[in-house]
Amino acid sequence: MFKSYHKVLLSTVLVVAATSTAAYAGDKSVSDTYANGKKVIDGGVTYPVAKGKTSSYHVNEKASEGGFTLGRKPTDNEVKAWDIDVMPDGTGLPEGSGTVEDGDEIYEAKCASCHFDFGTGGAGYPALQGGNAVEGQKSLTNQRKGPDDDGPIRVFGTYWPQASTMWWYIKTGMPHPAPMSLTDDEVYALTAYIISINELEIDGEEVDDEYELNREKLMKLVMPNKDGFEPVIDGPKGPDNTRAYFADTKNYGNGTRCMKNCFDGEPVLARISGAGISDYQPPISNKKELPPKKEGVEVPGEKTYKASCAVCHATDAMGAPAVGDKKAWEKVLAKGMDTVYANAINGLNGMPAKGGTTLDDAELKVVVDYMINQSK
Amino acid sequence: MTKISKASQPEVEQTSRRDFFRKTAAYSISALAAASVLAPVKINAEDDPAIVEEKKWGTTFGYPVTDNLYGMPSPYEHNVTRRYTKLLSSGNYYASIAMCPIQDLSGIITPNGLFFSRSHGGVAEIDPNEHRLMIHGLVEKPLVLTMDELKKYPSVSRIHFIECPANGGPEWRGPQFPSLQFAKGMMSCAEWTGVYIKDIIKDLGLKKEALWMLAEGMDNSHMGRTVPVDKVLDDAMIVWGQNGEALRPEQGYPIRLLVPGWEGNLSVKWLGRLEFAAEPFYAKEETAKYTALKPSGKAIQHFYANEVNSVITSPCPDKPWTDLKKGDVVEIEGLAWSGMGTVEGVDISFDGGKNWTEASLKGLVLPKAWTRFSYIYKYEGKPLLLSSRARDDGGHIQPSVKEERDVMGVESVYHRNGIATWEVTEKGEVINVQVLS
Repeated sequence: MFKSYHKVLLSTVLVVAATSTAAYAGDKSVSDTYANGKKVIDGGVTYPVAKGKTSSYHVNEKASEGGFTLGRKPTDNEVKAWDIDVMPDGTGLPEGSGTVEDGDEIYEAKCASCHFDFGTGGAGYPALQGGNAVEGQKSLTNQRKGPDDDGPIRVFGTYWPQASTMWWYIKTGMPHPAPMSLTDDEVYALTAYIISINELEIDGEEVDDEYELNREKLMKLVMPNKDGFEPVIDGPKGPDNTRAYFADTKNYGNGTRCMKNCFDGEPVLARISGAGISDYQPPISNKKELPPKKEGVEVPGEKTYKASCAVCHATDAMGAPAVGDKKAWEKVLAKGMDTVYANAINGLNGMPAKGGTTLDDAELKVVVDYMINQSK
Repeated sequence: MTKISKASQPEVEQTSRRDFFRKTAAYSISALAAASVLAPVKINAEDDPAIVEEKKWGTTFGYPVTDNLYGMPSPYEHNVTRRYTKLLSSGNYYASIAMCPIQDLSGIITPNGLFFSRSHGGVAEIDPNEHRLMIHGLVEKPLVLTMDELKKYPSVSRIHFIECPANGGPEWRGPQFPSLQFAKGMMSCAEWTGVYIKDIIKDLGLKKEALWMLAEGMDNSHMGRTVPVDKVLDDAMIVWGQNGEALRPEQGYPIRLLVPGWEGNLSVKWLGRLEFAAEPFYAKEETAKYTALKPSGKAIQHFYANEVNSVITSPCPDKPWTDLKKGDVVEIEGLAWSGMGTVEGVDISFDGGKNWTEASLKGLVLPKAWTRFSYIYKYEGKPLLLSSRARDDGGHIQPSVKEERDVMGVESVYHRNGIATWEVTEKGEVINVQVLS
């Protein structure tokens, strides 16, 4: 496959040779390398600003020169209030402690309704454990290619690379209906409980009911799947490892542009089993139709009309224009809306002022509008 | 087109015409005259009531400009909505997703009310007066901005798709959804307006050891993600505008991060804080979620870009060809996109990917944006296996299901871009299948 950034080099030559193609060459400016000479980190391309444009977009290059004086420096307290993340090296992890037993109690009160007893998960909430984590980690090579195959167990103990993530997430995201409501000690207790149900050890020590977790001990927890991820993102080489990884499509797959006889024989098909997943809300419909009238949704003026006006206006028996009678209302409307409103407010023939209601003028007009709308 | 649809449904059409005729015949002469634009000419059975019958909207006032001061779609379009399913939901729909009805969209811009919606703790309803953006960590000059101050930076507008990397993810082990909206609807495309982060950072003195940026939302989930500084200094934006108006609450009002082409989850909504650091943060959505497990047991982390992908949107299971008759000329239309560059071309196959022919691109072709493709086709009423295969200007080509599975297995959950295939039956019904050859 002839990559397009090769074409850039080509079009650069063309720009030199013929100025008339310069604008077009600017349009097509694309590169797999940043201005600093490093490859694009995601394995894709970038569109450097050239001749006032990036790809098809015009650019005001003055906008990138800096010199803006907007905003202000945050205060120390402001940063402290918002800087809630917790990093693997312990940055952001406060001092505190809690026992597995305490964690169990808090779990029962605040977590079990969604994550179920012992963190087995359910009701659309994730499981927090899948048995012994060291054993479960071995399941990550499982592939469910047949209907009876066991899948990989992807829970905290078996899969997550860092324990810091759990403390951070409980503190800032849980319990789901009331995040940021737990004290640091409560978060330590819950973390201890989750470590315990995953049967993880800390520094060779079993995490049983009496175990008290604190900052120092949590920092010592090594997750079984710590090295289960690629590329390696840690350390000063992290971004460079990442760019090398994604520069090689063999790591995540790429197609081939075959045009003829791309495989032998007839295509082998996989089909949806049964009806598949089709309980969509609302159900799929291509109909162009008015929405069904929702019960209990009030049309402005309808309630008053039914209570106070329908007695005379439902039919023409009382000499009043019947709601729904298009012709009768056309005659009424021919007088002009000001007159129609005025007649409704002041009364006309057998109709008392405001139809006998105590509505103010604006409210009454809504009822009149309703009756007119029903008669179109 | 009217003729095509009439010819394919002769019985239905005839019945409705006869009904109309019976109805009109039952009216008095004057009523008939009032109802017909041809009055007093006799109306025949083959005359289309839609043409010869007087219409309310042509003979009475519409609503005045004083109504609907924020306009809404015609009520007749009420079936065009986002949709959800219990299967892809947790937390009583607070941590859930509603799919974009891409089968109903035209062009490359998704209307704001139909843009797919994903949240991890419900849709936050932020008062912009009480919202701030804080930039701190490894910068010489940390910064706090009000929303008004942020919007005074020079703005840029860019058309980009946002795609959840789990789009199509439930179908790694085989097709599951008899619907395009659910098979591929975890994505949408809009014109976003905001400021390049690099233009703000210029004044803040980014320290050279800063390699990563945490972006954090201020919603219930306080969701954070780690973005490499390389991307921040390339094309990442803080956006407040979506298709010309303020972001919708579902899209992170008042501001969200926009990381063009990358996992939608990285475009953190309800954005409040950017922190620069020397090491990655290992946020919760960088653990059991948003990592792609391979058959080796190793998982790809920081799997940034949504790879080159495409799908045929017409026909599709939601919009089949059941109203076509043999010999009708129709357009096969679809969407192609790549988070790694610009769509360079799309091939189409009628036999499940054994043989391919090149389709046309149409409309605007922009980096990391939805791109329309088109193929004019004479329908013969024969069974088909319709597939599309896109490629981008970085040299990436959409893999077959087999090619993708060979590398990623079937437990990846995320980043599935294997070639999609619709089986078109003799009747024109469209079925979601996968070709494993």
